[in-house]
Amino acid sequence: MNLAEIKAKIIAQLPGAQVEVEDLNGHGDHFSAQVAAPQFNGKSLVEQHQMVYAALGEAMRTGIHALALETKPL
Amino acid sequence: MPQTSEIRLPAGTALTQVQAALGKMIQDHEILIFMKGSAMLPQCGFSAQVVEIFKRLDKDFTTCNVLENELVRDGIKTFSNWPTLPQIFYKQKFLGGCDIVTAMYQNGELEALLQA
Repeated sequence: MNLAEIKAKIIAQLPGAQVEVEDLNGHGDHFSAQVAAPQFNGKSLVEQHQMVYAALGEAMRTGIHALALETKPL
Repeated sequence: MPQTSEIRLPAGTALTQVQAALGKMIQDHEILIFMKGSAMLPQCGFSAQVVEIFKRLDKDFTTCNVLENELVRDGIKTFSNWPTLPQIFYKQKFLGGCDIVTAMYQNGELEALLQA
């Protein structure tokens, strides 16, 4: 997984989102992401994170071992 | 120091019974943390961080070590529609994972919730 792929997956499901992704250990499996999206308005933090996880889909089970996530409505 | 205890999926639980069994475990324990390792010996930094938070808040809690049982490790992700561990439940409500619980601890929300 690379940073651009992760960012693209999130934006594909959450159009208009501002996404910052960082590779935490340089190995392409531990990441942190900050996501601000208009779709998060009125959603709980759990729901916001679930929306990001859903956008990443199967990658959460395979390529991504850890993802530190910060979300907020835009 | 708060009291911690460990629980396991009942022995012999079949795959088709896992979701119901997890629901029962969550119902029976006020604060339940599904984690990698135990409160005494966490085996993942994120799990260790969550344990440390509940210890600092001086709250008794129960843990379930997902590394002991593949059925729990996979099943809990389905149960809460959440792909990562640890996962924290309070009064049957899914609070979130390490990031959310850490943020709730830092802004005082977690302490307020547990005292309510």
